[in-house]
Amino acid sequence: MAYETAWGQQAETLEQNGALSVSAAMAQAKRALEGVTVRIIGEVSEVSVKPGYKAAYFTVKDSSAALPCMMWNNRYREAGVQLAVGQLVELTGRFTLYAAKGRMNFDVFSIALAGEGDLRLKVANIAKKLRAEGLTDPARKRPLPVFPERIGLVTSPRSAAVHDVLRTLRRRFPVAEVLLAGVPVEGAQAPIGIIEGLRCVVSAGAQVVLVVRGGGSFEDMMPFNDEFLARAIAACPVPVVTGIGHEVDTAIADMVSDVRASTPTAAAEAVSPSRENLESLMSSRASSLSASASLAIERAKARVTRAAERPMFADPLMLFASEAQAIDLASERLSRAIPARLQRDSQLIDTASGRLLRVGSSLTERFAYQMATSAARLDDLSPVNTLARGYSITRNEQGDIMRHVSQAPVGSTVEITLSDGSLVCDVIESHKK
Amino acid sequence: MDQEQKPIDDMTFREAMAELDGIVATLEGNTLELEDSLKGYERGVALLASLQKRLADAEQKVSVLMGELSGEKDDEVRDTTLS
Repeated sequence: MAYETAWGQQAETLEQNGALSVSAAMAQAKRALEGVTVRIIGEVSEVSVKPGYKAAYFTVKDSSAALPCMMWNNRYREAGVQLAVGQLVELTGRFTLYAAKGRMNFDVFSIALAGEGDLRLKVANIAKKLRAEGLTDPARKRPLPVFPERIGLVTSPRSAAVHDVLRTLRRRFPVAEVLLAGVPVEGAQAPIGIIEGLRCVVSAGAQVVLVVRGGGSFEDMMPFNDEFLARAIAACPVPVVTGIGHEVDTAIADMVSDVRASTPTAAAEAVSPSRENLESLMSSRASSLSASASLAIERAKARVTRAAERPMFADPLMLFASEAQAIDLASERLSRAIPARLQRDSQLIDTASGRLLRVGSSLTERFAYQMATSAARLDDLSPVNTLARGYSITRNEQGDIMRHVSQAPVGSTVEITLSDGSLVCDVIESHKK
Repeated sequence: MDQEQKPIDDMTFREAMAELDGIVATLEGNTLELEDSLKGYERGVALLASLQKRLADAEQKVSVLMGELSGEKDDEVRDTTLS
């Protein structure tokens, strides 16, 4: 404390001698500097833009001088510029001093990209706008036709690019017809020409369109950064391939196209199958075809063979086997059935006849006895015995035993049976009682 | 296979290629009758021959719709060496 007071007093004393304190000197210098507003163009060489900072800090330089700059965050945001090393920028502001460090700064009021930088900003803004509309969305990208019949080509008709494309297509896929719209690809009228070229080849039937040009500077490529061209490409009813000759930068046209190729030749390759691939594809198709056909024949052959080996064809009798067996079986049963039946019947007959015989003999016995009795009686009653007793039997010519004289008229003969013989007598007289 | 077969000469390269691919796929599927397989094979071979011939014989047709195409002198020379 004591020391500081002493120092302060000393400084005061020195001031009275016409000398300034550092602070006072700096304040004077600051006032002098801040009175003037200037515009400066320079290249950004260092950038320090960090979230916690109140200002953006950067340095601009030219070939022999460098100037540290600071820009309050609110102003920086308003300017809409994304600072990057190497940008050419135009600054408006005033010199100022940061007294605490004794450093001179340029206090930037406004900043704009200068020259190409300005173009880039415009391009970046268009890109931002189109991106926000979804026109650069990868989901919008359409697949390219595999074997296009008509390929649209929009480019300068007097350029190496057109011949690069034609040569590549002729070499790889001469089958396709090329619809060429020769248009200017540089200058203010180029975007309109390219848009018209697009429309023209599409209405002529192009199934895919190449929009190409050879390499050039950033300014040369400006037509391909045109917003209307970008919209025309995005709205194109068939896929668009861009081949704009530059490897590093991406033009707006590239962002909205369906395929971005790095060069015109690469664009031509993108829309054409390679000759080698096509030929190997064809030979693989050819071998698939014959392999499949031979396989089909082999399969059919195997089926025929399998069928031929079926028992039905190997032994046709098999077809009737079951019927034949049934018949055999029936005939066998039949042949067994008849004799068996016969045998059984003959046994029955034998039995029956045996029984009959036995019954028969017993029957006759009874009748034989009766007959003997009857015979004895019959003998008692026999006319033979009666004849022996003197009676006779007379029969007329008709053989009838006569009981009446009328049965034998006079003149007829009668036979008279006696006990030991018979007499034939003429009827001489007839006397009726 | 196809109910109405387009004459091959009337087909575009892509159509012919697509039909060939279809035939090969169907044949490889092994589901066809022998007659159909052989028909497919025949058709496939004809398509293939046509495609190969087109590739071999084609001379690129360039229709200039706008502007005027300036010839490149050594175009033909380069071409013959390439193909």
